[in-house]
Formats: sequence, structure tokens, C-alpha cells
Amino acid sequence: MTSEQHKLMKKLQACSFALTEANLYLDSHPTCADGLAYFRRHKDEYEKARAEYEKKYGPLTACAAEGTRKWEWVTQPFPWEYKANEGGED
Amino acid sequence: MWQYEKKLQYPVKIANPNPTLAKVIISQLGGPDGELGASMRYLNQRYSAPCREVQAILSDIGTEELAHMEMISAILYQLTRNLSIKEIKAAGFDAYFVDHTTGIYPQAASGVPFTAAYFQSKGDPLTDLHEDLAAEQKARTTYDNLLRLIDDPDVRDPIKFLREREVVHYQRFGEGLRLVQDMLDSKNFYAFNPSFDK
Repeated sequence: MTSEQHKLMKKLQACSFALTEANLYLDSHPTCADGLAYFRRHKDEYEKARAEYEKKYGPLTACAAEGTRKWEWVTQPFPWEYKANEGGED
Repeated sequence: MWQYEKKLQYPVKIANPNPTLAKVIISQLGGPDGELGASMRYLNQRYSAPCREVQAILSDIGTEELAHMEMISAILYQLTRNLSIKEIKAAGFDAYFVDHTTGIYPQAASGVPFTAAYFQSKGDPLTDLHEDLAAEQKARTTYDNLLRLIDDPDVRDPIKFLREREVVHYQRFGEGLRLVQDMLDSKNFYAFNPSFDK
């Protein structure tokens, strides 16, 4: 994984984590205005980061694949691989 | 239903393989207070939850636990890559190796395979939520014990993240328990099963 891809993956993980936290909090506080505003703000950020990652490096879910010339789902490492988590190869 | 997302919830990047650490960390995959048991506990209990809030908490935390199972498995996978037979013997990893090579199998550190007997689904939301609160604390203690045994910062980092999640989940289950108790009326003051004795 290149350092740019790694950087974008880390950003995506951070945005996604903010959404997970908001989701769990809102489950028990479904009318909290601050919580809802936090969710909306991070949802925008997450969607932008996700679109940028998928455009540059391929699908994060199988359904997000383009399915044109080749099956992109199998062209990127699965996330438990060491090389999917480090950004050394530029 | 579920859809797989090709990313870890938090990065796992372990430069140096170390099967000695894998031997104890495996308990958080298939041990009595591990992530597989946590996920199965919540995803099975959710059907008898009496309100949407608690149904959501159990579904969403049960789903997050699947992502934690994947993180623990990634830690085990990276700690046991590229091992020689000499290293396997020296680390005492041979007992696991003979049955599983370096494949990932859910068992406790003691070698006992995963069993559904590690969790309960009682069909009573007050009983189930008390179990869930205890389960999060037991998992937190296990992570505390792992942190006492591990020096490698590459391994400590994701373990610390997982420990923090136990604390957050405990908080959310506490709120779920409060919601269910607030729903009880004067006719059910002694909190008989609100999902069965309607």
C-alpha cells in the first residue's frame, strides 16, 4: 500500500469510527439535537472520504465494484494483511 | 442482513511476529469473555428486547463485536506469519500448530474450543442486560490482563483500542437497562419479565 492510500484509509477509519460512536449514542438518545448534529457532520465527511478512496483504490464492499473489465474486489489486499495496514511502498 | 466492508475498524500493523503473544491473545477470539461470544450473545438476545432502542443497541454492538473479532484475528494472523519450526517449538506454539497449523481457530488460551455455553440468551431483557454489563467488564479485565503481559507497542495499540470499546459498550448497555426499567409500570414493580409477562 502506498503512503497516500494508507493516509486515506486512516482518514476513512477515523470518519467511520465517529459515525459508529454517534450511532451507538443515538440508539439510547434518539432525540438529542447535539448528537444528531454530530452524526450529520461526520456523515458528510465519511461519505466524501469513502467516495475518494473507492474512486482511487477500488471498492470497499463487493457491491461497490464497477464490474467492467475485471472484478476489482480481488485486486486489493484484504485488511488483515500486514501490507494493507502500512504505508511503506511508494 | 450484513455486508462485508473491506477495512479494519482500527489498524493492525505488527512488524514482528511473536507466537508467544498469540497464545494468550487468542482468548479474546474464542475464550469465555472473547469477541465471538460477545457478538453471539447480543445478536441472539436482541429478538426479545422490548423496545426499539434496546433492539438497536444489541444489533449495533453485536455487529461491532464482529469487527473486533476480525481485529483480534488480524493480530493473531500477523503474530504467527513466516514462522520456522524452530520458532514454533521455542515459543511452545507446537500444541496449537499440530491441530491448526497457523490457521485461525476460536479457542481459549487454555486450548478449550469456543462454546455457546459461554453466553446466555434468557428471553428477559433485565436479566440479559445485566449479563451484558458483566460481559463488558469481564472483557475489559481480560484486556487489562493482556496489557500486563504484552510489551510490543504494535500489539498494545489495537489491544488498547479494543479495551476502550468495552468501556463505551458498558455505558450504552447501562442506558439500555435504564430505558427498560423506566418502562416498567406500577403493576410490574418487582420487574417480572417484561417481554413475557405482558
